[in-house]
Amino acid sequence: MKMIVVFEKAPRLRHIGHLDLMRAMQRALRRSGLPLCYSQGFNPHILLSFAAPLSVGMPGQREIMEVPIARDMTADEFMQKLSSALPPDLPCLECRPADDRHPAPMALLTAAMYEAQLETVPDGLEEKISAFLAQEEIPAIRKTKTGLKPCDIRPMIYDLSLRGSVLRFTLALCEKATCKPDLLLSSLFEFAGMARPRALVTRTQLLGERDGAFVPLETL
Amino acid sequence: MNEQDNLKLERLLEMVQKPARYTGGEMNAVVKDWAAVRSTFAFCFADTYEIGMSHLGMKILYDLINRRTDALCERVFMPGADMADLMRAESLPLFSLETRHELRDFQIIGFTLQYEMSYTNILEMLDLSHIPAYARDRAENDPIIVAGGPCAFNPEPLAPFIDAYMIGDGEDVMHELIDVIRDGREAGLPKKDIFRNLARLEGVYVPSLYDVSYNDDGTLKSFAPNDPAAPAVVKKRVVKDLSAAVYPTAIPVPYTEIVHDRMVLEIMRGCTRGCRFCQAGMLYRPVRERSMERLLELADQLQQATGYEEMSLSSLSSGDYPCLPQLIQALMDRYRDKRVGVSLPSMRIDNIVKQSLEETQQVKRSGLTLAPEAGTQRLRDVINKGVTEEDLIRSVTDAFECGWSSVKLYFMMGLPTETDEDLQGIGRLAKKVVDAYYALPKEKRSKNGVKVTASASVFVPKPFTPFQWAGQDTIETVHEKQAALRQYLKLKSVHFNWHESELSMLEACVSRGDRRMGDVIYAAWKRGCRLDSWNEYFKFDQWLGAFADCGLTPDFYAYRERPYDELLPWQFIDAGVSQEYLKKENEKAKRGETTRDCRRGCNGCGLHTWGVCDWVKHPPLRDTDQASAPLFD
Repeated sequence: MKMIVVFEKAPRLRHIGHLDLMRAMQRALRRSGLPLCYSQGFNPHILLSFAAPLSVGMPGQREIMEVPIARDMTADEFMQKLSSALPPDLPCLECRPADDRHPAPMALLTAAMYEAQLETVPDGLEEKISAFLAQEEIPAIRKTKTGLKPCDIRPMIYDLSLRGSVLRFTLALCEKATCKPDLLLSSLFEFAGMARPRALVTRTQLLGERDGAFVPLETL
Repeated sequence: MNEQDNLKLERLLEMVQKPARYTGGEMNAVVKDWAAVRSTFAFCFADTYEIGMSHLGMKILYDLINRRTDALCERVFMPGADMADLMRAESLPLFSLETRHELRDFQIIGFTLQYEMSYTNILEMLDLSHIPAYARDRAENDPIIVAGGPCAFNPEPLAPFIDAYMIGDGEDVMHELIDVIRDGREAGLPKKDIFRNLARLEGVYVPSLYDVSYNDDGTLKSFAPNDPAAPAVVKKRVVKDLSAAVYPTAIPVPYTEIVHDRMVLEIMRGCTRGCRFCQAGMLYRPVRERSMERLLELADQLQQATGYEEMSLSSLSSGDYPCLPQLIQALMDRYRDKRVGVSLPSMRIDNIVKQSLEETQQVKRSGLTLAPEAGTQRLRDVINKGVTEEDLIRSVTDAFECGWSSVKLYFMMGLPTETDEDLQGIGRLAKKVVDAYYALPKEKRSKNGVKVTASASVFVPKPFTPFQWAGQDTIETVHEKQAALRQYLKLKSVHFNWHESELSMLEACVSRGDRRMGDVIYAAWKRGCRLDSWNEYFKFDQWLGAFADCGLTPDFYAYRERPYDELLPWQFIDAGVSQEYLKKENEKAKRGETTRDCRRGCNGCGLHTWGVCDWVKHPPLRDTDQASAPLFD
């Protein structure tokens, strides 16, 4: 069987990269004494997979990983053992057992919710957001492995609103289409003709779809 | 750190390389309530996070202090150059990783001195902390700055900056030092009285309680206490029973990759070999082993507390651990299911047993590193490196048969009495290692092809070694020798690495420097020197300028052969190994005579009079031909 684990990457650890986070989790799993599964080959490593890598510099409130285990157990037992092995800034929030044939969280992921804490809120930003979203197309330049590519990010923005000094938004995040928070922010402030304020962006929730509606990924 | 500085720091973290160096939060990092303790200790490592976090001594003392309920210890590292510049520009003080307290807030600031060329980093770290470097400029309420570690055995070059040194093993004296400082501070004693109380502790040296004078030729004239509390001779501290000593198991596990990112099991301290160039071999005498039961217990605790996937055994000479094969076997058996590998560093080539090699490969194959040190048997005898060419070839042949294909060979150049013949010998030895690979039938050796990396460092004479009086080769001579070596090592499958001779020359100056060297280090730092052991930051010209600023020359410290009757700056320290023994060894070196491993019989180095040396009573090794040899040569 396998466990679907929801964990937090707290702000203090936001500068830890994806590979480092993966290694930290593998070491936590080793400390936990849980019955783990290992890859074959000359340098066996613990099997685990993350739903989506988190960018360097970004905290995640509800990140998801999948851990195959070698013996059946309850979510409570798993969570208790894992929690005792995690550092304070990387707590396990929830976990749920799943059948081995259950699709990987990565395959079910479609979008993610974010919050950007703005250091300063430019006057008139709220109106600009409405105008920004009213556009039929939002041309932008996306950085990919093969170079810079023009694209339309409008269909990848599912939601965008300002409350106080916090921008909340939901963006496409899957194999077919991904819009990074940085691209949204630069497009928005360029459109608004405003200097982009410093912002701490947090990924708050990973999403999947059920019956055409977004639901938290861990519930699928 | 106040809220404003915190925000400043958060902003800087987005601008620097490797920001995770500065954020802490690792598993097993100890975060304590400042209001609940009486002593606060900032453990400073004068190099970057990746290097400092790899250091065993820091883990030992961090753990040892944090085990106390009345004290806390937090880590501080040298920031990268980019971060240091930004911090200075923003006037953001250097801070601890655990709770981001600035260094000024700590009662004690402790530096571990691991290598001389990190000394400018100490001045940089103090400056970033807004603390005056010179002890004489510091105020009553400034923290007390202490230091220890191997380089503290010649404390003089940093004497102007350090309030008190701990000499020798830190485990016991650290507690005493913390208590004395705490009691003094709580009683409101003036610093000078606290220093006097510190000087009364065995193994503690307080530089301000000693006066120095010089002869006209620049050599040391006198060195003596100026206060009745200060002893004329400072005796190093020795932990007698390593098995009973505390050892860190719940060590902080870094998120980012560090230089040695694994569990470290210290199996022994000290070495009985007596290589004449080796400072550690003399300083850490006598040899003390941890029992196998204790090691297995510690290994389990380490594994459970860290989750590391690799364990290495640490000591100056792991191959000399009496039950090494049994220990490796036991560790393999325990961790096979958990896929934890075991690697063996610093193996001496004369006792790598084939069995051990096979065991290592069973779980994890690490690189094979051998240190013949010199290219000919004559020179190996001079330095008392008791290893023969046959030993080396047998060891690498065994390794090649077990599937190894790359070997690192460490040599030193510029050793006393070295000639071109010895340099040619390095080439011949490398060639023989390659030949040993091809001598094996194809099916018995790795398909990858052989790769031999020969590294030649420049010999640096060090205090408390038989070569402490020796002159170092000049930079010009070293360059000539390096050019010659490049020719001798132009061989198929052999790669040659060499070291910066300029850095080695400065290391020779600082390691055998006197109190005036402190001014040179300060002047070098003022001229922008820091992170000197990082190639990209090393500024040799500025160092030469610093010597000139102080009216001193590097030649005096590095190149000059010192006569036996010269007063050495570190002579007031009793490291256990007597100056008479070192002289005797130096004379034997000149005659090319070797000295036996002291497990085969005591050589009378001086420590036998301390009652800490088990080998005097129970020599565990005894060659039949030496069985009747007298106890002393």
